[in-house]
Amino acid sequence: MSHIAPLPKEAITNPELRALIAEGEALGVPDDLFGRIVARAPEQAVPLMRALLMSHAQGHVDHKLKEIMRILLARFAGDKYFASLRSSKARAMGLTETRIDEGCYAYEDDSKGFSEAERCALRYADLMFLDAAQLDKAFYDEMKTYWSEAQIMELGAFIAFHYGMAMFMRSLGAKAAG
Amino acid sequence: MSEALLDEGIDNYAASERFTAAEKIALRYSELMSVKPDAVDANFFEELRKYYSDDEIVELGAFIGFNLGYHTFFGTLKFYPLFSPDGRLVSQAESETIYGAAPTSLKPEAAE
Repeated sequence: MSHIAPLPKEAITNPELRALIAEGEALGVPDDLFGRIVARAPEQAVPLMRALLMSHAQGHVDHKLKEIMRILLARFAGDKYFASLRSSKARAMGLTETRIDEGCYAYEDDSKGFSEAERCALRYADLMFLDAAQLDKAFYDEMKTYWSEAQIMELGAFIAFHYGMAMFMRSLGAKAAG
Repeated sequence: MSEALLDEGIDNYAASERFTAAEKIALRYSELMSVKPDAVDANFFEELRKYYSDDEIVELGAFIGFNLGYHTFFGTLKFYPLFSPDGRLVSQAESETIYGAAPTSLKPEAAE
């Protein structure tokens, strides 16, 4: 159980927030727990939920790749809540648990078949909070060989936001229900 | 708010007489989430609740998480403030010489 009790669903009256929580439940990330906790800070809850959903399920980078990156970041953060959630959209696109584990722990292994672009993006997520000093001009130059600047901003902001929310949920000791 | 108070809040808040007990534990929450997350446990939350409601703790925690993520990301992009402390519009090269490298508060030893 989280250090902070989530609000009961029926206590959340903002229709926009209720719709975003339902959207998260349909995707599977986040489940209703995150929305019911951040609902305690109503001025932040809607933009946080919207940013979490948009950055993950929309944009111009493959959703399956972002799902692997999200889980890699949650595992690195030690956050059992976000690490245990899975995107139903990514699953429907063919993403498996085996592929998630390969993406988290063995993406540099040639035999796993990740493209150079995917490897570079996974390295971006891996290094951001492990050793950000390695994300230097040479690294960004390499990223630019595979990704547009718009995609790099999409990836960087996605990494920053999802890691930050994973650390927040870790601090609360939150765990998913399932 | 002054630069001196900002620096004291980052570097010396625990011993400072310029911060209340409530402010000190909020600052400690922001520090621990980044560099010593195992220390944010049930006992820490009991202490937080002496000063903040559960709603305020969620507001603080989400704010800290957001900033923790984005400041690290922005740091990798190597962009610096457009203005010097005295208000001049400066180049990125000059700004880098003024504002320098990553904040020391993000180093793990800062929470020791």
